[in-house]
Amino acid sequence: MVRYDYRWLVVFGCNLLLLWLVGLANHYLAHFSLLGFEHCTVSLYLGGLLVTYAALRLDSRHGWASTLLTGLAADSFTALPFGTSLVLFGMVHATLLHGRQRFPREELVFAIVVALLVNLFLFIAISFLLVGSNSRPAAAWLRLFADLLASQVAVALLTSWFMSVQNRIFYFLRQHPETGRRVAS
Amino acid sequence: MLPKRFDQAHPFALLGVVLLVWLVLPVVFKTFARSAFFEIQAPATVVDSYVDDLQNFWASELKSKEQLIKEGKDLAGLISAYSLANQTNKQLSADILRLENLLSLPSMPAYRLEPARVARRDFSGWWQRMIIRKGHNYNIPVGAPVVYSGGVVGRVIEVHAYTAVVDLVTSPTFRVAASAEGDNRPVSYQGGLNETFSPPRGTVEFVPLDLSASQVQPQRLVTSGLGGIFPPGLTLGSITLLEPSTDGLFKNGEVKLDPRLNSLTEVTILIPLNPEQP
Repeated sequence: MVRYDYRWLVVFGCNLLLLWLVGLANHYLAHFSLLGFEHCTVSLYLGGLLVTYAALRLDSRHGWASTLLTGLAADSFTALPFGTSLVLFGMVHATLLHGRQRFPREELVFAIVVALLVNLFLFIAISFLLVGSNSRPAAAWLRLFADLLASQVAVALLTSWFMSVQNRIFYFLRQHPETGRRVAS
Repeated sequence: MLPKRFDQAHPFALLGVVLLVWLVLPVVFKTFARSAFFEIQAPATVVDSYVDDLQNFWASELKSKEQLIKEGKDLAGLISAYSLANQTNKQLSADILRLENLLSLPSMPAYRLEPARVARRDFSGWWQRMIIRKGHNYNIPVGAPVVYSGGVVGRVIEVHAYTAVVDLVTSPTFRVAASAEGDNRPVSYQGGLNETFSPPRGTVEFVPLDLSASQVQPQRLVTSGLGGIFPPGLTLGSITLLEPSTDGLFKNGEVKLDPRLNSLTEVTILIPLNPEQP
């Protein structure tokens, strides 16, 4: 009997969950008070987390499917031209896929470092794409720097949780994320 | 079997193919895909907004009778004030109509007011937008102005089945023709100065040299009505700084926006009743 392989769907579903959670966090972070400042606002961008698992743990076919679909899903909810995240996520995915055999890609610390670097690259790339539309780009960079700092802290804190959620789902499905083979529980 | 060198470059070759396919895909497909991916995620956004409303409802149930009586009294005061304002508005509308007929002027654009709850705020350094809980199901058009009690909120830029996306007045992508209160010369307003620890600000350009404003004596900035989207006279913010531009022909400045924009829960969409004559 042919069993349908839905590994891409598992990772894509987890990414949708993360997108929803980040959206929810940004909704509440749009206005808060902190240390005597009445009108604080910060925004999180966790694009690095959306690519890391698919690029490090899944096989090429399922990883690509998950990453490209995630890119489109991320773009549909933002003001970016549709396809920007698809291209950026694709570039990151190809680079990680190319070099992943040389690194301890199953290690959590390595995943955190990769997620941080990828997030930094994606954030800076999007900033350079969009900052030109601002009437005062120099002032805009100050805000972007604060958002980047908050995003990197969030990535550092959330990577282990997000990776283990996906690992745990594959464990319950008794499936190896890379080979797709059934594994004993 | 493929040579080893090609095997190593396989991810980049695949990326090239993906990019090529994406570039040649028709725009119709991309538009459909964008809409489809948005609609896949929209239910979660709307549901958490409803859950938030439910939480507020339960929190209100905990209020004491004394508190409710006090709030009822406050509300009664507000209702009487609004009733008076409503009567004045009716009188002013009748005056406008009389003058239009007398001077054979084209009639002012009329709008249907559609209140909507805010489902999601997305206020980053790149863009500032919000998702509201009304869309095609309430005939919301793209480009419709969105307002609140403090003035302009933004304009509708995307409409989906039961949600719509609003580009905020604070966003760098938002531009509108404005004018200083009591002055009919148009200036250009753009959002985008959104710092982490202070209320949002915008910028004005092409301000006539004889206008002046400062922190002590701010100038109220209102929509000019040019461009046909926003009716004239809606508050955008207060000009708090004006300085000569580099060419010396005009002044540029900063506009202080209402901090309530960051925490809005309800907005009103102005839907033109006669879209042919905006």
